[in-house]
Amino acid sequence: MKDFIEYIEKSCESLPDNHTAYLYKKEILDEMIDRANEVTHSGLKDEKVLADLMADEYPNLEGNYYAWAKEYKKKQHAKIMRLASVVGCVLTFFISLILFFVIGENATFTYYGYNDDVLGLHTVSAYRNAWLIILGAIFGIIIFCLGFGIKRICKMRRVFHPIARAMIVLCVMIIMVFAFLCALMLSTNPLETKMWPIVIAGIILALVADICFAFATKQKFRTITTMIYMPIISTMVFVILNAYGLVGSFGGLVIISGLIVDVIYALILVASNAKYFIYKQEDDE
Amino acid sequence: MMERRLNAELWDKMHYLFRDFNDRMVHVELNYDFVPDIEALKTVIICAFEKVPVLRSKFVDTKLSTHWEVKPYVIDDILTVAYPENVEEAVEEFLTQYIAPDADNQMEIALFIKDGKSTLCIVENHMCMDGGDLKYFLQAFCENYTKYVQEGVSPVEFRTGSRAYNDVYSGFSKTESGVAQRLFKNINARDNHKFPLTPNNIVDKSFIARRKFSEDTLAKLKPKGKELGATVNELLLAAYFYSVYELAGFPSSDKLMISSAIDLRRHMDSVEDKGFTNHTSWMQCAIPERGRDIFETIKYVVRSSTRFKKDKFMGLYGLPLLNFGYSVMPHAASEEIIKIGYSNPYMAMSNIGILNGQQLALDGHEPTDAFMSGAVKYKPFVLLTATTYKNVITLSMCVRGNDEDKKIVNKFFDLMEKNVKTIIGE
Repeated sequence: MKDFIEYIEKSCESLPDNHTAYLYKKEILDEMIDRANEVTHSGLKDEKVLADLMADEYPNLEGNYYAWAKEYKKKQHAKIMRLASVVGCVLTFFISLILFFVIGENATFTYYGYNDDVLGLHTVSAYRNAWLIILGAIFGIIIFCLGFGIKRICKMRRVFHPIARAMIVLCVMIIMVFAFLCALMLSTNPLETKMWPIVIAGIILALVADICFAFATKQKFRTITTMIYMPIISTMVFVILNAYGLVGSFGGLVIISGLIVDVIYALILVASNAKYFIYKQEDDE
Repeated sequence: MMERRLNAELWDKMHYLFRDFNDRMVHVELNYDFVPDIEALKTVIICAFEKVPVLRSKFVDTKLSTHWEVKPYVIDDILTVAYPENVEEAVEEFLTQYIAPDADNQMEIALFIKDGKSTLCIVENHMCMDGGDLKYFLQAFCENYTKYVQEGVSPVEFRTGSRAYNDVYSGFSKTESGVAQRLFKNINARDNHKFPLTPNNIVDKSFIARRKFSEDTLAKLKPKGKELGATVNELLLAAYFYSVYELAGFPSSDKLMISSAIDLRRHMDSVEDKGFTNHTSWMQCAIPERGRDIFETIKYVVRSSTRFKKDKFMGLYGLPLLNFGYSVMPHAASEEIIKIGYSNPYMAMSNIGILNGQQLALDGHEPTDAFMSGAVKYKPFVLLTATTYKNVITLSMCVRGNDEDKKIVNKFFDLMEKNVKTIIGE
C-alpha cells in the first residue's frame, strides 16, 4: 500500500490540493488496492513486480485527473438535476391542480355548438375545458421522464436504441394528441373545423423524428428505414391535404412523390458510393 | 470487485463457430537444456495474464449475444510443473487436452522436467489469438522472463490494445478502406475432395503427428524455389497437393483445392498498439489437375497463389458480410445463417513460419527444439502445419482419430518427404 501511495503522490504532484483531487486519489488508491489483492490472490509474490504492474495499469494519473474531475462534476450536477426534476414534477402537478380549480371556478367559455340538444352560441363554466391543464401537466411530466430515459438509453449499447426510438415516437404522439385535444376543446366552432388531421400530422412528425434520431446516432438500416417511411409520409400528407380540400386533381402525384423521393435518394446513395464498388477481384481461372 | 467484461470480437465468434470442425487449441512445445526458475516463470505468467485479460476469461454465449467475462485465477491452476518418467508421453497428453470456451482460463502451461532438461508446453484457445500473435506472445514472454531473471526488470512488457477485426483496414487510405469494407462477396468455394481418413468413431482420440525434415532440405528448397519462381511455402503446398493425389488416389484430372492460412496483419500499419487477437484468413489455392509430375503441380500452385497475391485486398473478402451477419441478428440466429454460407475447407495448410531461437531464449538458453501447431481437426477436416526452427522444417497434423488414421497421416508424411526430395532433386 505504501508503494501505491508513493506512486499516486508522485504522479499527482502538480494537482491542486483540493477536495476533488483528494477524492480522485482516494478512488485510484482503493482501485489499486483491490486489484493488488486480486493479483496477490492469483499467486504473485514479488512486491516490486506488483507495484510496477499496478503502475502500468494506472498510467498518466495526472493527465487522467482532469477528465475524471470533469466526469465527477457532471455526476454531481446530474445528482442535483435528478432531485430538482422530482421536485419540479410534483410542483408542476400541484400547480396545474390549483390552476384547474382557479380557472374552472372563475372563468367562462363561449362556443357555437350543441348544449342540452340545443344548437347555438353557449357560454359555460371553464370547468368544461380546464381539465386540459391537468392533462397538459401530466403529459409534460411523462415527456420529461421519457426525455430522461432517451438520454440514458442513448449512452447504452446499440441493442437498446430501438427502445429510445419508440420513446421518441411516443413523445411526439403525446404532444400531437394533446394539441388535437386542445384544438378540439378550445375551438369556438368545433362543428365546422376539422381537427383529426392533427393526429395524422403527429404520425408524420413521429416518423420524421425517428429518421432524425436514426441519422444522428448512425443507426443500422437508417437508409432502408427512411425509404420505407417516405411513401407512408407522402400518403399521410395526401390525407391531410385532402381533408382540407387542397389537393384537387394532383392527389395521386402527392402519394407518388414519396416513391420519387425514394428513387432520387437511392440514386444519390449509389452515386456517392460508386467509388467504393468499382474494385473487381481478378477471377481465379 | 465489479464483473469485468470484454467484447467478443468477430474472430472470437468465428472461431467459436468452428467448434464443429476442430477443438480450437493451438499448441506450443519448447525444449530447453536447463530448468527455468519456476517462481520467476510464475511471476511472468501472472503478469502476462494480467496484461492479456482475455486469457483469464470465460466466453459467455447467451444465444442473444456473446462476451468474455474476466475471471479470477490462481497461478497453480494455469502452470503445471511435473517430473514425468516419460516426457514425450506427458507432452502428448498435455498438448492434446481441450480447453472449453466457458472455462475460466483460456491458456494452460506445463513445465516437464527430467534430467536437468525441461519442456515448456502451452495450449491456448484459438479464439483468443492466432499463431501469428502467439508467436509474438512467446517472444514477449521469453524476453520478459530473461530481463526479470537477469536484470530484475518487472515482466510487464506485453502488447495491449484493440482486438477488433476492423484494425486490418488501418494500413489503407480512406478510399481503400471504404472499398475493403464493402467487399461483401462470399468467396467460399467448396471442394468435396477429402483427406482419406477413416470414418468418425467414438473411440477416436486426439493425436499430433509430426515429421521433421533435415536442415539440408530447407537449404536445398530455397535455391530450388528461386529457380522455379516459387516460395518455400508454395513448394510445400505443391508437395501437399501431389501427396494427397497419391494418398487418396484422386484421378489426376480432378481439380483440387487446399486452403492456405494467410496473415491479415500484412494490411496493417503496425500491430504495436493492438491487443492479442486473430487476424487470419484463407487463401484458396486451386489446381486444375495433378500435373504430369510435381514440377507441373508447382506451376499450378504458383499460378494460383500469384493471382491471389496480386489482389490488393487479399483475404479481406467476406469480412464485412460476416460482421453484418453477427451484428444484425441475435447470436444464435446469426450463427445458423453464417453456417449456411460458410464452407470449412476439408484440407488446409498453415505455415506458421520461422521460430527464432534467440527470441525464444530463456535466461540466455535457446530452445534445443521448438514446435507450434494448429488445432486438432475433426474428421474429415485436416490442417497441415509447418514451423521452421534452426532450419529444420517440422510438419504436423493434429487429428481426432484412431491408430489407422495415425498410419494414414504417417503415410502422407512419407509421401510428402518423397515429393520434397523429388523437388530438391535427391
